[in-house]
Amino acid sequence: MTPYFQDPALWGLIAGTPVAAAAIIQSRKKIAELRKEKGELKQRYATLEDHYAEAVEEAKDRAEEATKNTLKAAMRTLQGLASEQQLAISKMQETYGERQFLQDLLDIDHMNSQFARRAQSIAVLCDGWLGRRRTAASLYDVVRSAKGRIRHFTRVEIRSQSNFAIVSRAVEPVALTLAELLDNATSYSAPETMIEINIRPVPKGVCIVVDDAGVGMNEEEKAKAAELLSGEGSRGVSSLGNPPQFGFTVIGVLAARYGFSVSVDSTSPYGGVRAVVLLPDDLLTSLHEPEESPAVAVSAPMPPEENPSGYPAPARAPAPAPTPAPAAPATTAGGLPKRRRRGAISIVPAETERAQDPARDSARTASAMGAFQRGTQSGRRSTNASSEGHEAQ
Amino acid sequence: MTPSDEPELEHEAAELVRPYVITNGRELPDDSDLSLITLVTVHQNPPRTKPLDPEKLRVMELCSGGFLSVAEIAGHTRLPVGVAKILVSDLTEEGHLCTRAPIPSAQLVDRQILEEVLNGLQARFG
Repeated sequence: MTPYFQDPALWGLIAGTPVAAAAIIQSRKKIAELRKEKGELKQRYATLEDHYAEAVEEAKDRAEEATKNTLKAAMRTLQGLASEQQLAISKMQETYGERQFLQDLLDIDHMNSQFARRAQSIAVLCDGWLGRRRTAASLYDVVRSAKGRIRHFTRVEIRSQSNFAIVSRAVEPVALTLAELLDNATSYSAPETMIEINIRPVPKGVCIVVDDAGVGMNEEEKAKAAELLSGEGSRGVSSLGNPPQFGFTVIGVLAARYGFSVSVDSTSPYGGVRAVVLLPDDLLTSLHEPEESPAVAVSAPMPPEENPSGYPAPARAPAPAPTPAPAAPATTAGGLPKRRRRGAISIVPAETERAQDPARDSARTASAMGAFQRGTQSGRRSTNASSEGHEAQ
Repeated sequence: MTPSDEPELEHEAAELVRPYVITNGRELPDDSDLSLITLVTVHQNPPRTKPLDPEKLRVMELCSGGFLSVAEIAGHTRLPVGVAKILVSDLTEEGHLCTRAPIPSAQLVDRQILEEVLNGLQARFG
């Protein structure tokens, strides 16, 4: 052992160990401190990050809200103007109806409707104003109105009529929804193909089926469409994509807001998309005046000689003995055309129900004409019988 | 505006179904085919077709009582005259209506004949 005591290395070791131990302990402490600091920093970083994300989200919401408000106000002005313009065009059409430039007015009317629809769609995305209030309208008229709001409307064929009508508050939403569907259908199919609309009553309400002969959609597109149509996928005006795709987003918002459903997940018999709008019973009603189409009823108080309910005036008793109108123009001996009494011209048959079937219509016509003839015959007989010599007209 | 807000009742709204939809984009017929005073009535044997549009049905109802002029049809249906003409020409082509040209206005008789008649009458009774 003793020789080791002389070894300086041993003394060095003995002296060095505590120093080293102290150093180790100290560095361990330092490491622990550093770790703690690191943890704290991490935490702070995380909090900061959270705050940042929140702030960004908040800013985004604020921006979205601001955009919405701006657009909403702008669209309201545009919609108001389009609506005013539509009225002005209507009046001009009535005034200059017999001139050739009616054609141009009809074209302008068409452009104005498309313009109004665009503004309306943007307004829907901003939770804005849908347009002027409508009275309840027949489903057929709502479908035709929708048809008029797209560019290539002549490609749309409405294959069935129906007796259903849509309640006042749902007229514009349903028309706009259909217009967006028809716009898609015409945009994604060849220009020479037709788009078919069928109206089908179902136990839960009424379905409006839109079939196109276009390219259809793949599974991914269908899934995306279904998400948007459910009203959940929409995140406002700033997330429409570039170029922006309005259609399904607008429809989704409208469907959610007014309680109908739209699906585009089936294939049409022509290989394109089949879109189905299901209108529940509470959006449906029946019209009180089934024989007056709202297009006429809205703007048209009937002429004073007809009764105010809008029904065609009941057939007046035929004048004593008017000559039945369809006859070759008779002439007097001097070659002058004979003036004939045309008192019965504007007699219209009393009908309490709209005749949907042309066959039924013709039967009625025939019976009306028969009654007319019997009337004139009995009139002639009675005039002939009296020897007073009154002029028999 | 909240989603529950209803469209406001501000002014009257224009017709829901626009005239160019009623005519389905058809061109105006020539004035020579249909004038304001062309008379129209329903055809004796109307063809069986799919249900007519409400406006066309209204025209058929109006004409079913006898002859009606194009101007009167436009007045009763409150459609622009040109639009009424398109409907009438459509219905005529489909065989629902038949039209009849207006009675030609009286031709002025030759002045010379009148003078001769006058002279003859005066020679005989004058």
